[in-house]
Parts: sequence; structure tokens; C-alpha cells
Amino acid sequence: MSERRSIGQLAGAAPDPNQPAIVVDRVTETFRLFHERPSGLKERLYRMRRSSFTDFNALEAVSFTIEHGDSVAVIGPNGSGKSTLLKLLARILPPDAGTVLTNGRVASLLELGAGFHGDLTGRENIRLNGAILGLTRAEIAERFEEIVEFAGVRHLLDTAVRTYSSGLEVRLGFAVAVMVDPDILLVDEVLAVGDAEFQERSLERMRHFRDQGKTFVLVSHDLDAVRDMCDRAIVLDHGRVLFDGPVSEGVELYRQRVTSVAAPSVDRVRGSRRVAIDEVSLLGPGGELAVEIAPSTPLTLRVRLRAIEEVDVCSVGVVFSRGDGTHLYELHTTWQGVGVGPLAVAQEATVDVRFTARLLAGHYAIACSVTDVSGREAWAVVADAARFTVAPAPGGTGLVDLSATTAVTEGPARRMEGASRPIPLPRLQRRQARG
Amino acid sequence: MERADASAAVPGATRRTSLAIGGKLVELWRARELLDQLVRKELKVRYKNSTLGFLWSMLTPVLMTVVFSVVFTQIVRIPLTDFPAFFISGYLLWQFLQNSCQGAIHSIVGNGDLVKKVYFPREVLPLSHVLAQLIHLLLALVVLSPYLVYTRGFHVLLHLPTILLAIGLLTIFTSGLAMWFAGVNVVFRDLQELFVVIFQVWFYATPVIYPLALVRSQMGERFAWVATVIEWNPTTWFVELFRLGLYGPVTATGDVVSPLTDGAPTWPDPTSTLVAAGWAALMFVVGYVVFLRRARTFAKEV
Repeated sequence: MSERRSIGQLAGAAPDPNQPAIVVDRVTETFRLFHERPSGLKERLYRMRRSSFTDFNALEAVSFTIEHGDSVAVIGPNGSGKSTLLKLLARILPPDAGTVLTNGRVASLLELGAGFHGDLTGRENIRLNGAILGLTRAEIAERFEEIVEFAGVRHLLDTAVRTYSSGLEVRLGFAVAVMVDPDILLVDEVLAVGDAEFQERSLERMRHFRDQGKTFVLVSHDLDAVRDMCDRAIVLDHGRVLFDGPVSEGVELYRQRVTSVAAPSVDRVRGSRRVAIDEVSLLGPGGELAVEIAPSTPLTLRVRLRAIEEVDVCSVGVVFSRGDGTHLYELHTTWQGVGVGPLAVAQEATVDVRFTARLLAGHYAIACSVTDVSGREAWAVVADAARFTVAPAPGGTGLVDLSATTAVTEGPARRMEGASRPIPLPRLQRRQARG
Repeated sequence: MERADASAAVPGATRRTSLAIGGKLVELWRARELLDQLVRKELKVRYKNSTLGFLWSMLTPVLMTVVFSVVFTQIVRIPLTDFPAFFISGYLLWQFLQNSCQGAIHSIVGNGDLVKKVYFPREVLPLSHVLAQLIHLLLALVVLSPYLVYTRGFHVLLHLPTILLAIGLLTIFTSGLAMWFAGVNVVFRDLQELFVVIFQVWFYATPVIYPLALVRSQMGERFAWVATVIEWNPTTWFVELFRLGLYGPVTATGDVVSPLTDGAPTWPDPTSTLVAAGWAALMFVVGYVVFLRRARTFAKEV
């Protein structure tokens, strides 16, 4: 049996303040994916040695420590292992390798109204649900009024829950769940249900919990809620910890990652209809391919296109955007009075767009299009034609490099040696995290 | 500190296994409120939607008693006095066992959402079915006791300790079996299909509709193995123990024609009590260990 807990420790659920709230040490969780799951006796016997499966690590060597009073968000794309991690913390799943230690009473809100039974009344379900969440009879009795009040189900207390509306059922489930008064609260996406008022109330409840100095682990896709609720973020990707640090950086990293995964890669340059964009390259001042640059580097975007059929004069357009999709700058050659063509079949043309990347640290993408002169008809579009990264540099943070200088015009001043670094790019940290 | 790690189970590490079971029992004790609520739920759901609730659930045993009594006293003659009382004193226990296991076998798979989303000692799910059936059994006994007292005499009441002992031991046995079924059914879903067949055969291998004494005296050389099978069947011992208190001992002579002699309820001999206790303990430990091994990965497999 791999779940080891001494009896004495079981009896005393009070947290030990000298120990961290949660320690996850090199935890790996493996799921066995059967290609054709042999779930019956016959199949078992029949394909005793031949059952084909692949092992898939939902979590791989994940380690972190959470102190008492930390509010931590776990974010990452679907399938990155967030929910599995929460289940490990809630002891629903045992780790396949490594150790999970929790210190104090743990309550998990992985599902609201878990175990509600439609034939039982609201009153009976409150007792049942409370017991499922680990409340004692005395605790349920003590909090009963508060639960009824919070859920607003007083008039329906003795009615079978199957007659409740789904919204009401969720509210009742939440009301019971938040009455559990744990030292460590695990929340999985439950905030996403219910109407706006209910969401606000539940967020309020969570804030209250956090402000009491309780430990709080939240899994959510709602990045605004995450930023609001948590101080720290753990970003997971494919079962690995990509980032563990301040929530704002974690959220930013995740945003950029989502957009970079969603966009097609550069090598999928493809033309549509009348013109083909054969190649888009971003060149630095010396004509070399630019990938990572310093702020305000002069760059050239070289677009090579080829007519698939005979076309009249066309316009080449470029759109600059930040990793999260923020529209930064757009330009079409015709806006500057330059048209390309007319082109005969298979005739090629190359357009250079010269610009200065007055941008600060971050990831940026360039989209490229060929349209008719009026810009109404798109003849070729490449959504993610080129990408570049601006490296952090001293001088300022934000989005736009305003090239500001400072001067003390009155009063004493001192020249500082070794100017302090700006907020480093999350990517740099990501590299560090990967070791 | 709650600790969960991945150190694999070492075969032969009895001390750790017993420690794990000890810890689990403590955890189970701490989950008694949940167990209590689940048992209430079972009983409420079972009795709730009809005004006659509990009485309806008595319909099956009463009907079965009528049917078997007609068959075995009028058509096929088993020469026993008070055959209905004889049948009931075995059938009630059998029904408790079968219904408990039938409820328990689906208890993990049927509560998949709960198992995947909330942590609690998983054994409360099958055990809640056993306890709900136990309460049902006790209620049924109370309802039927006037009839049993009327037919078998007041000394039935004197043997209450024997009756309760038999029920207690069978509850332990059934708990183990119910956990085994619940745990194994998660991986071998065919088990629920086999269930009906297993229990059909098992029913006839248990002396519910016939007395064990008759088997012992009637089986000739060629079919001696049948008697052996029945004697090795653990449920035989619980039924015999229970029936001894509720109906009385049944003895038979080797001659087919002579009627079976039966006497007033009497006290059990220590040997058969020990055999029943042994089976109960063995089944409980085996069922619990198998269940706990399986329970670790329920959340992945349900």
C-alpha cells in the first residue's frame, strides 16, 4: 500500500505551521491508454499478453512547495495536467512516482453538488453532501442555517432536489462546499458556472477565504479571475512545470503560449486563390534572419510572391500584432501609393517593408496579405508569416519603445552604476526553468 | 501531515499491510457520518416513493415463502413441520447477502462522478449497501417475528443472542464480499453479468430450501461430493447458525421414507460457530485488501 499515513497524524488534522502547506516532490502520474480497452473477463483472458496500450504521463517530475497562506493558480492549456495535479493534492489519485504531502485539512471543490440525489429533499441533500465533503454531524448542524441562507433555498428545503432548477442546484452545491472550512482549499473551474451574480458572490467568498490567510489552489482558464485571486501562478504544459512565479508573469506567459500554439507556423506559408506568398523573411540590419532583437532595431520584412494566374496591380499588406493578439500596426503598400504588378502567370515579385521595431520586450507576430488595390478582395493571406522576439534591455518596460531619457533639472542627482534591469522576459525564465 | 507516495506494495510486508488496514479502519471510523448519511439515503430512496414503502419490500420474501411452501409441501414433499418458518429462517439471510452484493457491485462504477471528484474512503460506498440491507433484515425479522413465535414457540425469543450472532457474522462476511465485488467490478465489468448466475448456483448450494441434514443422509456414495460442496460453502454455516436459533435443529435418519425429526430451537455448538466466524474474518480481510488495492486507481478506471 503506497499511501502511508500514521494513525496519530490522521487523528490530528490541525496544520503544523512549521511545515509548508503542500509539498509536491518529483511527482509523475501515468495514465494507461488502452487502444481497445479490454474491460471484460473474456477479453482479458483472450488477449492476456497482447493488450495494446500506451502509457501517457499526465504529470512528469512535477515539484513545488506551497507555503501556508499562499494563493496559487495552476494554469495551462487543456490536457496539460492541471486537473490531475489537483486530484493528487485532493488524494483522489495516488502518485505513480514521487511524493505529495499536505499539511492541514484539505477540501476540494472539484464539482459542485457531488453526490446530490434527486429523490432526496434539499435538507437531506445538504446533510449528505456535507458528509461527502467531510463535515461532521455537528458541523453540518451548526452551518445548516448559513448554507440555507447562502443558497436561498429555504422555501424548497423539503422538496426533492430533482425539482430544482439546475442553477438552484449549483447554488446549493456551492453553498455546502464553501461551508467546509479547510486549511487548504482546492478549486477546479467551478467558478465558471452560474450567472454573473452568483459568480461574483462565489469570487467574494474565495477572496474572503484567501484573506483569512488560508492556502488556496485554483485551476482556471479565466485569466482575469486568476490574476485577481492569486499571487502566484504555476504554468503547466504537457505535464511539466513551465513556470512558477508571480501571477502576472505566469498569466502573460500563458497568453503568449496560447496564441503561439493557435497560430500556424511559418513553414505553412500558403497562398490562396490568385497569388501565392512563397516566402516571408524578416531580416536584421545586416541582412541576416532576425529572430531575437534589441528594442528599436531597424528591420526589413521581405515578401516574395508569385502570381498563380494573371493579375492586375495588387497591394501587399502587413499587420503587426503582439503575442496575445493585440493589433499594433497595419500597413498596405497602396496606402503609400505603391502597387505591385500587373503580374503575368508565374511572374514573381519581391516587396521589402522596412521598419524600426520600436517595441519593448515581448513576442510579436506579423501577418501578410495580398489584396486588390481597393483592399476588398484578398488574393493571398498568411496569418503567421513571421515572428520575432524583442529581448529585454535596460531603458523601460511596456509595449512601445518611446526612447525616453531622464534628467534631473533641479536638485541633487547621482549617477547610478549598473542600472537595474527591467522585468525580464518570461521566456528567459522559461529557459531557466527548463534548466 | 497527510502523506501519499508511490512506494510500491512489497509482497510479504504483512506488518505494513496490517498497519495500512488499521489506518484505513481509523479513516473509516472518521467517515462514519458519511456512512450514516449514505445508509439513510439508501433506505429513503428505497422506501420513499410509495406510501407502503417498507411493506412493499416485504412482498418478495412473503411471495417466495408462499411459492416454495406450496412446491415443497404439496408437490415435492420435504417432510418438515412448519415449512414456511423453515424457509423464512434461511431466505431472510440469503436475501440480505444477495441484495447487499447486488447493490454494492454497482456502487463504485455507478458513483463514478463522485469517485472522480471527491476524496472519501471508498469503502463507504459498498458498505452503505450492506448496512442498509442489514437494517432492512432486522425490520423484516421484527415484522415476521409474530409468525415465527406462533409456529415455533416462545423459546425462539430466548435464542435471540444466537440469531444476532449469526446476523453479525454474516454482516462481516457480506461486507468483505461486497467490497470484493465492488472493487473487482471496476476492472472486470463482466462480473455484473456473471452475478446473476453466480448467485443462482450459490442459492441452491446453500441449504435454504432444504435442510443440511437431509443432504447428509440422502446423498449416496456417488454424490457424496455434493454434500462436501455444500459443507464447504461458507454461507451454509451462517444459515445453519441462524436457523438453529430461529427454527431449531433438523436431524434426519438415512431412511428416505421416515419423516425428518426436528426439535425446538437450541444453542449452537462452538465448532460450527467458530467455522462461521472464521469464514467471516477471512472474507472480510480478503475483500478489504483486494478493495483497498483496487481503490487507489478507481479515479482513473471508473
